[in-house]
Amino acid sequence: MWAYIIRRILATIPVMAIVALFVFSLLYLSPGDPAAVIAGDQATPDDVERIRASLGLDRPYLVRFGAWTWDILRGDLGTSIFTNLPVSTMIQQRIEPTLSLMIVTLILAVTIAIPMGVVAAWKQGTTIDRCVMAFAVLGFSVPVFVVGYVLAYVFALELDWLPVQGYTPISNGFFPWMENLILPAVALGGVYIALIARITRASMLEVLSQDYVRTARAKGAAQPSILFVHALKNAAVPIVTIIGIGFAGLIGGAVVTESVFAIPGLGRLTVDAILRRDYPVIQGVILLFSFAYVLVNLLVDLSYTLFDPRIRY
Amino acid sequence: MKRRNLLAGAASAALAGPALAQPARNRVLTMVPQANLTSLDPIWTTANITRNHGHMIYDTLYGVNGSFQVSPQMAAGHVVEDDGKTVIITLRDGLKFHDGERVRAQDVVPSLTRWMRRNPMAQKLATVTDAVEVVDDKRIRFRLKKPFPLLFQALAQVSNSPAFIMPERVAQTDAFTQVRETIGSGPFAFKTDEFNSGSRVVYTRFADYVPLSSGTPSLTAGPKVVNFDRVEWNIITDAATSAAALQTGEIDWYEQPPPEIQQLLRRNRNVKIEAIDPLPLTAVLRFNHLHAPFNDKKLRQALLPAISQADFMAAVVGDEPQNYDAQCGIFTPGTPLANDAGMSVLNGPRSVDRAKELMRAAGYTNQPMRLIGPTDILAPSALTQVGADLVRRLGFNADIVLTDWGTTVQRRTSREPVDKGGWSMLLTSFSSFDFVNPAAHFPLRGNGTDAWFGWPNVPRLEELRDSWFDAPNLAAEQAIAREMQTVALDELPYIPVGAYKSITALRSNLVDRVSGLALFWGIRRT
Repeated sequence: MWAYIIRRILATIPVMAIVALFVFSLLYLSPGDPAAVIAGDQATPDDVERIRASLGLDRPYLVRFGAWTWDILRGDLGTSIFTNLPVSTMIQQRIEPTLSLMIVTLILAVTIAIPMGVVAAWKQGTTIDRCVMAFAVLGFSVPVFVVGYVLAYVFALELDWLPVQGYTPISNGFFPWMENLILPAVALGGVYIALIARITRASMLEVLSQDYVRTARAKGAAQPSILFVHALKNAAVPIVTIIGIGFAGLIGGAVVTESVFAIPGLGRLTVDAILRRDYPVIQGVILLFSFAYVLVNLLVDLSYTLFDPRIRY
Repeated sequence: MKRRNLLAGAASAALAGPALAQPARNRVLTMVPQANLTSLDPIWTTANITRNHGHMIYDTLYGVNGSFQVSPQMAAGHVVEDDGKTVIITLRDGLKFHDGERVRAQDVVPSLTRWMRRNPMAQKLATVTDAVEVVDDKRIRFRLKKPFPLLFQALAQVSNSPAFIMPERVAQTDAFTQVRETIGSGPFAFKTDEFNSGSRVVYTRFADYVPLSSGTPSLTAGPKVVNFDRVEWNIITDAATSAAALQTGEIDWYEQPPPEIQQLLRRNRNVKIEAIDPLPLTAVLRFNHLHAPFNDKKLRQALLPAISQADFMAAVVGDEPQNYDAQCGIFTPGTPLANDAGMSVLNGPRSVDRAKELMRAAGYTNQPMRLIGPTDILAPSALTQVGADLVRRLGFNADIVLTDWGTTVQRRTSREPVDKGGWSMLLTSFSSFDFVNPAAHFPLRGNGTDAWFGWPNVPRLEELRDSWFDAPNLAAEQAIAREMQTVALDELPYIPVGAYKSITALRSNLVDRVSGLALFWGIRRT
């Protein structure tokens, strides 16, 4: 097991190196010029050139890539071209809101979706099953921003129960923190509830037709015990896999949700950095996301051993 | 149930504990600004949001009021000697930086030296300046080669890298490198520890700031009396979210709501909608003069009969004629140099057919042209859409390239012809301050490859600009302005496509706002 974990962690190094090379090259080749953005609409071409030179953006590709790689190897993600702040500081400022949003969304999605999927499988073909599946289709079909606007309109503007926008750090208290996250988490969670509920249902249907479930019923086991103890554990591997994939997908969903609810997270930081061509910030955040993605996949793989003792690393 | 604090209330009961001292809510003003504040150096970048930040934390030697009259701000006064070739400016008493240090002439001189490398009017000033020097702690001296009648006007500029006074150590930073400190001498201090670019910018009232003891607050002139302990800029990129936050009172001021949101906000009696500046922004259709097809003056002129400023303006501000001017020349409407010389080409009946005839007469034979423009900035995006429709109706062999702003500003730097990735036409807009006079009027420059993007070569415009700097009085300035407009509407470095007011939305209980731009002195809550 430990050897496997170490192997997997070591395997992230070439993955990260390829991501770094790809991201740097893509940004180098893509159109856009931070010097022109900094100089502003009124700047002359000469001003733009001088700013470009002062930022070192006129240096050759290999020189810039070499300098950036050397800094990364020393643990330095660089400095924002615009704010002059270290990229690591900017990420620190933004990581808590994004993590909070993702965690609350995942908890919400898992606690709602798994029981929904289990019940839908149990009541296959009934009105309950159809309702759950209809909800799932709806969850997939309605864009996050539409759900977000509707929720904000109803619960913030009309009922005045929750704030429209913003984020309160958890250090200011659990309830103020949660107050700002409820609407974004529900908006973002819809699609994941739908996804997890469908996978849970499909996986449970397969397991519920197995002989050992029939045996459990014959032995007089209670229905909740059959569903949640015997069947669910055996149906868990695909569910956990989809939760892991969903976590990665949340990164993309968070960008939209953070925009709608003005949450100062990594998603907004990434979009803003891309729009103004703040290369060090884009590179730093994408490296972080890549690392998080690799890490989540590792954790998902490791979690399989908890649900299926036959899996060994 | 109107209980926004449902959870917070439960929390306070359950988790009562010590809290950090916070200013009372009514002593805090919260605004959603026009853009994210990314750069903190208003000399390094000309971005309007950084200019507004500059006015928060820095002060200028001279201010200018809404009628463009200049008056001392940090200066106590000045003496002009030697037939106008020596000017000595004295600082007023009580000026301090946010770190508690006194503002001295030793701070002012490097600040002005840095400014003179970036600001267009100051660059002109630099060409006639032998030296800017410290006389003593409270006095600086300009030694000029010849009188510069617009010296105080230059020192009082509101936009485009104004002459902000910084501490000596900060002002010694190269003009093309961003400063690393935010210590200013203005009415607000910047909260570095709370700065989160893309989310929040916080300013606190600078307790040691001494406003002028008399006068009326108007633009950057008069006493800058602050009525809030704290000003917060909340960066909300989504217009609907910003509007909702304004309606619920989570924010007090939404600087630039788009037209469709303005309609929504007008229905809320707790919100008022007004022009942030009584003067309009001006919009331009810029040609690339280096390459075909618009290196041909006759083809540029051929477009004129088809230009309907009302069409462009309606796309930017909606169907509200009171918010735009569709008879706009090359200077900001409503300012002293605005005039009607040569405007017959833009007024009167509009005709696409007539324009097509002129295009044929100019020898246009389907040469490719490229219109570039952004999709993510409100006004330039709307202007570009109208421009795209126009060139299609005129029958140009047009390649319309719509991208994000970051890509547009890079592509416009290309001096290549169309077949090598260059461009032919773009549309954008400028703040009212930029077109008040020829000094900072970039699109009006005719200095060829040194000119603003598009690079027109019109020596007569440069001669007139030079003579304007030497104009002895307003009448002389106005005469030059008329001639500049006549030349400009003949040579067409660009075509003016209208002027529009920028609309702002704020809670009804905010009064005494100083108009012009988002300024935070004078304004108070009733």
